[in-house]
Amino acid sequence: MITLDRASLRYGDILGLSPTSFSLPMGGGITGLLGPNGAGKSSLLQLLCGLLPPSGGEVRVFGEAPYRNPAVLVRIGMVPEGDRFPAGLRGDRWLRMMGRLSGLAGTELESALARALAMVGMVDRAHLPFSSMSKGMRQRVRLAQGLLHQPELLVLDEPFNGLDPEARLELMETLRGLAGQGKHILVSSHILGEVAQLTDRILLLLRGRLLAEGSVSEIRALLDRHPVELRVHSGDPRAVARWAVEESGLAGLRMEEGAVVLSVRSPRTFLPRFQEAVSQGAFPFTALSPLDLDLDAVFHYLVQDHA
Amino acid sequence: MPLRPSPMTALAALLQGYLPRLVQLRGWVVAALPMVVVLGGLVVSILLRLNGTPSGGATPMALFHLGLAPVMVPIMALVAAPAGIREDMEQRTLPFLLLRPGPVWVLPFARGAGWFLWGGLWLGVACLGLGVLGLEVSTHFLALLLAYWAELAFLSLLGLLFRRGTLWGVLALFLWDPLVRFLPGRLQWFTFIHHVEALAGRSPQGGEGILAQAPVETGFWASALVLLVFGLLCWAAAGWKLHVTPIGLSGGEAEG
Repeated sequence: MITLDRASLRYGDILGLSPTSFSLPMGGGITGLLGPNGAGKSSLLQLLCGLLPPSGGEVRVFGEAPYRNPAVLVRIGMVPEGDRFPAGLRGDRWLRMMGRLSGLAGTELESALARALAMVGMVDRAHLPFSSMSKGMRQRVRLAQGLLHQPELLVLDEPFNGLDPEARLELMETLRGLAGQGKHILVSSHILGEVAQLTDRILLLLRGRLLAEGSVSEIRALLDRHPVELRVHSGDPRAVARWAVEESGLAGLRMEEGAVVLSVRSPRTFLPRFQEAVSQGAFPFTALSPLDLDLDAVFHYLVQDHA
Repeated sequence: MPLRPSPMTALAALLQGYLPRLVQLRGWVVAALPMVVVLGGLVVSILLRLNGTPSGGATPMALFHLGLAPVMVPIMALVAAPAGIREDMEQRTLPFLLLRPGPVWVLPFARGAGWFLWGGLWLGVACLGLGVLGLEVSTHFLALLLAYWAELAFLSLLGLLFRRGTLWGVLALFLWDPLVRFLPGRLQWFTFIHHVEALAGRSPQGGEGILAQAPVETGFWASALVLLVFGLLCWAAAGWKLHVTPIGLSGGEAEG
């Protein structure tokens, strides 16, 4: 569905996105585009949504170059970043206009409007002027704008910015629901937790470069320079340590109060042996928790490696 | 799946969508500008009649040539043009329009058309008001309408070409245009005032002074055509400029 072949984007002398290649397949689901501010997320999204042409390389969405291409644009919905809204207009009037600009008309437009407003929970409040709406309400109207024409690909640039926790949760639920209906959703964020709550399929960007793509565990497995840290809670942490140093694949350990932290090179081979030792009563065991298998740790290591 | 909207559909959608903007503060300023001149003229006329002094038709001509054509119509265009496509650029809502599958080149005209119709309506009312004072309505209205059309299109284009388009517009309309009396020969053609006067007759005042040049004669329909075509060319150029300019979310241009 989405293919980038050494696609890059420059803003004059500034490189927004280095030559980047990846492809996302057809089918529903959520893909997280992750990176700190200035990583190139918005640049990438603007290429995908046909807002900007690539400075080099090639971008294909639904098999075609998306830049100002109506055949592609009609299949994409985008919710840009920022609290931008047309001053002096009411939400529903603006949505009708955007619907007409998407090729909707008559009863088709009205039913699309009702459906999109229901999805974002704005049926009763869309008649308000933008200036009277809260930031969260405006974000929902913008989301309704992206959903109005029932796009196959929905792109959201930092959609959680400025939303209160309740609105964030509601938006996440909405996005999960849409993904469940078979839509492909691309969400950019600089907040790891948000993306981690939404999806396991991620693209990691840093300083205009695509660092990694795949699931968190797939990417973590590639980071073999960083052994996985496992905290083992035990009544006798020294016994755990003694057992561990006799095992191959241990990269290091450190003692903590009531626990030992083991650094292992390959959790896949280490964990079955650990499980076996626990079942044989080789040492007292309370709990095991991985310390750096989550998105935060993966992102931290990637940034560290590319610094 | 929705179809790509035609240029007419996009035009109608934007006209309809942005209609409320016309009846907000900026729209009422546009409406008030010609009405101030007319109402002022009516008050003066009534006072003159009460004093038994006949105006002899001089008042409406003076109001037209000194107030409406050279001052109020340019100010109307200067007020209205930034509320067109420039407004979408300023408030960074242009990407919403560019992300839709409609034709991009139609956007500047579609955003300006409402302001043209609204301003044209009030210029019509103003001319009717001056008609009460004895002004011939139809040709004077046509002159004002075409001048407003051309100036609005010109300023909308400047707004797309330059960040300080309004400033360039002010310079063009209030420094260059009034020089018409002192411009030699065909250079007078490059002012809006010259064509307004070709349509509605020359101002009874002005034209004196040692630097004043002989006025160039231009036919009624020639000037009407010049203003009409100039406006069309400006809208077309604005559409072309938007069409060929990649505009991103930040509003700035990117190197494609």
